[in-house]
Amino acid sequence: MKKKDFYKDLLEYLELDETNLDETTNLKALEGFDSMSILSVIAFCDEKFGKKFTAQQLNAIITVKNLMELIGMEEFED
Amino acid sequence: MKTLSNKNIVITGASSGIGREIAIEASHLGASVILIARKKEGLQATYERLKAGDHIVFSSDITNYMELEPLITKAVQKTGKISGFVHAAGIEMTMPFRNMKPDYYEKIFGINVIAGLELARIISKKNYLDESGGSFVFISSVMGKFGKEGKVAYCASKAALTSSIKAMALELSQKKIRCNAILPGVVKTSMVENMFASLPDSSVEEIIKQHPLGLGLPEDIAHIAVFLLSDKAKWITGSEIVIDGGYSAG
Repeated sequence: MKKKDFYKDLLEYLELDETNLDETTNLKALEGFDSMSILSVIAFCDEKFGKKFTAQQLNAIITVKNLMELIGMEEFED
Repeated sequence: MKTLSNKNIVITGASSGIGREIAIEASHLGASVILIARKKEGLQATYERLKAGDHIVFSSDITNYMELEPLITKAVQKTGKISGFVHAAGIEMTMPFRNMKPDYYEKIFGINVIAGLELARIISKKNYLDESGGSFVFISSVMGKFGKEGKVAYCASKAALTSSIKAMALELSQKKIRCNAILPGVVKTSMVENMFASLPDSSVEEIIKQHPLGLGLPEDIAHIAVFLLSDKAKWITGSEIVIDGGYSAG
């Protein structure tokens, strides 16, 4: 998946006011990111990449790059 | 004589959790049980814990609706007519409403609601139903009455199940069939363990705290289910019985 599509799809899933994401964005610091957002990220990873993660795995995630590394960097292209 | 002697009881979701516990308890009370679930290994594990008797195991996906009547026909040929049915099969889904899709609702309603109603309809036919009537028990949930974030589909499915037993109770009373729903709070089952794994720790702690007596055990539900299946409950129909460790008291 192209990184810019990943950022766009993730934002759409999270329905946050933020309009721009990149690898350095701190997901948990985004306004409106809450416990339901974690579930949205789990659903997103399952739907887009077929990867099932637990909330505990996602607890360790801080930045968008951390999330991409959990999914697997081989899934992404510039 | 034991309270469920001479009763043949169909139980869905019998490979684990509440369905398994009801099957075990019913067999110890003299029933012959007809177990249905998808997972063969789980069904076998349940079967091994039953008190010896004329029990049958069917590994089947209950959302293959066309296969249900042949399955019931086979069960009746082997053990005789049916006097009890428990729909304990169910799936859970924790998903923010914003991320829900139509096929998620279809999947959860297929298992939690439609398969149960379809089996009840089939079993209520005179070819399959015991002449003395029957008792149908549906394992619903308190979440069919109280909302919970991330559980729109699950709550909707359980509310549908709880409502349907009332209409069913009225229609089927002529056939001497009683229909009741049990509404458990959160019970420690493998389904709940999987759900907890998908939730943040803070949400899990909150759920546990909402049960003043702690989380339930499958046998807490099984005790009531076997009572409803027995003739001791002969004047109970159309009822929703809440067993939730105090979840709904607050």
